[in-house]
Amino acid sequence: MATTFKVIVNGQHQLAVDPSQGTLLEAIEAAGIESHFHCRNGFCGACRTVLLEGQVSYINEPLAFIRPGDCLPCCCVPASDLNIEHR
Amino acid sequence: MSYSTFNQTVSNPLLEPMFFGNSVNVARYDQQKHAVFEKLIEKQLSFFWRPEEIDVSRDRVDFQSLTDSEKHIFISNLKYQTLLDSVQGRSPNIALLPIVSIPELETWIETWSFSETIHSRSYTHILRNLFTDPSEVFEDIVINTEIQKRATDISRYYDDLIFYTQLWQTHGEGDVEVLGEKHSVTLRELKKKLFLCINSVNALEAVRFYVSFACTFAFAERDLMEGNSKIIRLIARDENLHLSSTQQIINLWQYGHDDPEMREIAEELREDALEIFMSAVEQEKKWAHYLFQHGSMIGLNEEILCQYVEYIANMRMQAIGFDAPFKQRSNPLPWMNKYLVSDNVQVAPQEAEISSYLVGQIDNEVSAADLGGFEL
Repeated sequence: MATTFKVIVNGQHQLAVDPSQGTLLEAIEAAGIESHFHCRNGFCGACRTVLLEGQVSYINEPLAFIRPGDCLPCCCVPASDLNIEHR
Repeated sequence: MSYSTFNQTVSNPLLEPMFFGNSVNVARYDQQKHAVFEKLIEKQLSFFWRPEEIDVSRDRVDFQSLTDSEKHIFISNLKYQTLLDSVQGRSPNIALLPIVSIPELETWIETWSFSETIHSRSYTHILRNLFTDPSEVFEDIVINTEIQKRATDISRYYDDLIFYTQLWQTHGEGDVEVLGEKHSVTLRELKKKLFLCINSVNALEAVRFYVSFACTFAFAERDLMEGNSKIIRLIARDENLHLSSTQQIINLWQYGHDDPEMREIAEELREDALEIFMSAVEQEKKWAHYLFQHGSMIGLNEEILCQYVEYIANMRMQAIGFDAPFKQRSNPLPWMNKYLVSDNVQVAPQEAEISSYLVGQIDNEVSAADLGGFEL
């Protein structure tokens, strides 16, 4: 059985995300939460999201600077349960 | 400290700051202080495109069917973008190359400026197709007061840095009189000018293009001016990459990953950097007002465009450590995103599925399982 992680978005949505099924951004979109993005390729930084708790792993190496406490959901997947602010 | 095209001082580029260290001598990339700049170069090269590849011939017919206010919006935006890319096609080279100290950043600056020159050539490609003689449009860029206002703000930080760098490189630190005017040159002051310049360029790449991008894509939503829209998508993709590099530079300074003095300056001039960004946002809103002064276009008006500028500005300002200053947290123009996704970009009609040139790509991944069918 595939591993799924619990992802809390904006303190109000709880998602079960399977890291093998696509990026964190796709999971946010599939849940019908308003998403923010441009390039979907890790360089523009438009999807920048606050990572309150948990770890992510990058499936493509991002070119945008990732400030401590942020993540880029367009090119990462959860590596643990997460609590994120995507606004 | 005069500039040398091949600095014979033995230096270790891994220990040099990004700017104002020893000038670069050997263009080597086997070791890198900030490897991200080479990755940006590779990405930019994979994005390579030429304006002539995009067929804009249908746009001429579409353009004739636009109302006068729509024509004003379309042409004014092209003029403004021509100004922006005229500046960006030369200024990073002239302002930054004389002071850069690491090879990967030096090459990135050249790659970046080169891609802006492609943008400039593409505006001519678009305009030559719309008008038998586009001179009137180009000539107006220098005399149009709305564009002049923006040109002043965009070029002054560059010009200031270039002038003081020239003084420093010819006279060194100290007071110097040029044409009856006294200038006091110190390295610290020069670094401040560099900081303000990079923040001004960052604001340019971050928000200044987006009012005209929105108008272009609003036409495309109505199946109008689609050749132009294809070109602008490629430009938008490039600009997002350039933005990534200025954000990198600012963050590397802020987090003390480079010159420690630049970290101090970043703190000292934080309010000035904020001011540069906020005034760029204000100018963009005024530009939206100018565009729609004769009437709006379907799908867009001044108010919604200003909301979009605020939405984008929030996003861009957080990326360099400012709080989001505007209330606009949701995207007022959600359809914009589909034009900004880098993979959706179409180069030539026969290449609908791919966005970047991957020349001579070979898959070198071989696992033991691939050899499972072989027997000796």
